Amino acid sequence: MCGIVGFLSTNGDGQAETGRTILGMLRALGCRGPDSAGVALFGAPNDNRFAVRVKLGEGGDLQSKARQIAVHLEALNGASQFSTTGAYARFLVSGETDIKQLADSIESLDKDYEVVSIGRRLEIIKQTGSPENLEKTYCVSHLKGTHGLGHTRLSTESRVDLSHSQPFWSHGFPDLAIVHNGHITNYHQLRRRYEQRGIRFYTENDSEVVAIYLAEQLAKGGSLQEALELMLRDLDGSYSCLAATERQLGFVKDPFALKPLVMTETEQFVAVATEEIAIRAAIAGTYSVREAQVKEVRVWQR
Amino acid sequence: MAEISCDGRTTRDINSEIRRAIAAGDREIVVKDPGARHNLAVAILDPARIRISGSAGYFCGGLIDGPRIEIDESAGWGLAESMMSGEVLVRGSVGNGAAAAMRGGTVVIHGDAAARLGVSMKGGTILVAGNCGYMAGFMGQKGRLVVCGNTGDAFADSLYETACFVGGSIEGLGIDAVIEEPSKDDVAWLDATLSQYLPGVSRRGRDFKKVVAGRKLWNFDKREWKVWQEAL
Repeated sequence: MCGIVGFLSTNGDGQAETGRTILGMLRALGCRGPDSAGVALFGAPNDNRFAVRVKLGEGGDLQSKARQIAVHLEALNGASQFSTTGAYARFLVSGETDIKQLADSIESLDKDYEVVSIGRRLEIIKQTGSPENLEKTYCVSHLKGTHGLGHTRLSTESRVDLSHSQPFWSHGFPDLAIVHNGHITNYHQLRRRYEQRGIRFYTENDSEVVAIYLAEQLAKGGSLQEALELMLRDLDGSYSCLAATERQLGFVKDPFALKPLVMTETEQFVAVATEEIAIRAAIAGTYSVREAQVKEVRVWQR
Repeated sequence: MAEISCDGRTTRDINSEIRRAIAAGDREIVVKDPGARHNLAVAILDPARIRISGSAGYFCGGLIDGPRIEIDESAGWGLAESMMSGEVLVRGSVGNGAAAAMRGGTVVIHGDAAARLGVSMKGGTILVAGNCGYMAGFMGQKGRLVVCGNTGDAFADSLYETACFVGGSIEGLGIDAVIEEPSKDDVAWLDATLSQYLPGVSRRGRDFKKVVAGRKLWNFDKREWKVWQEAL
């Protein structure tokens, strides 16, 4: 199962109530994935700085953990601002930072630390439990933004915890996030191949490889459209997959159309979801919805 | 006429009320605010007219025997699955596996159908005004499948005796599917059926290609091993 959603507001300056819309869609898909819920939101840019979201680990004194990272970052590149909410600390660092190095240095401070997202506009918030609980802890409905993704997870093969929840950030590549419903059957083969090249996997969730794969394609200079099309060649199994970058929202549906995905596009917005019930629950008005076809790839720009 | 609102009610409650209304003699039922919820109007066995004023979710009109169900917008997976008789009309598009294993009656889709339309159909008629997706008609045993627009890949794969008609282009034929000229009777039937259910479609019966089984997979013959190797 699992439920995935994507929303993009085609106009405006990022003040759209994207958090509220995505949460509304996720609530309707709560029964498809009771294990965890998460969102990836693209808000207003932070003066060209990177927002770094770090999972501080389960329990312990989160404030002092966050301060430890802040002190470390200050020594590293003079970062200043930080805040903590729930299990996360959020830092703003210079947009010139080498984010791979930054993430590695944070994660080397404590084995519990995990950089969950880095981006000029991307913020990933996820935890175990229902969309309702996600709202209680993080008030995601108050978040504004141009576009975003959401996920409710029914775990089939890997552990249920924050790290294994979705959306996944493409570690090392700013502002790239994915959500996936399905099962990548050549995951172990792909993972071995990436690990031989020194790429680190943070989880045992097969969906993580989608994020790594897309980051690899984009790093080579391909467009998101091309990267999603190449997925059809290189990733086996069942997948309906959404990906978002700083200015794009896209999806791909596997070569056997094994997983559901519906979409609607109007002049004001694009909405994509596992089931139409999610779109109807969150967005009022008149619009038509259709199921994506086999091997269909679409990317919307803003 | 009975009006049934879906707001704040369980699907079981809505379906029970549809049945109660029919039992009380109502022959026109409007289901309001469906919000694409699943399992609406399943297993209705009486000739009532049920209008879903919005979108339906999965399995709408499954196992029905007799009613006419109209859906104002789209429908999700498994529309009219295994229906026995009656009519199901969808103004919008439908998800995967529409009219799978249907045995009789008519399913009319004004928009597009996604993958696996009418797989293993055992009778009845499917009409699609738009296009259909991947693997439509797979293992169809009887009945007619009409697609006015284009089909996806693997169309009419491993067919038995379903007759398929395509107005547009075929992205790819399935195993053992062959194209033949429609007969005079086929053309007359297409013209009559389209003018009854889809008068807005400009294509006429003579514009359609007919796709049937090549019958190579019907009986196993080890001398034709190559055919089977290819098929499997």
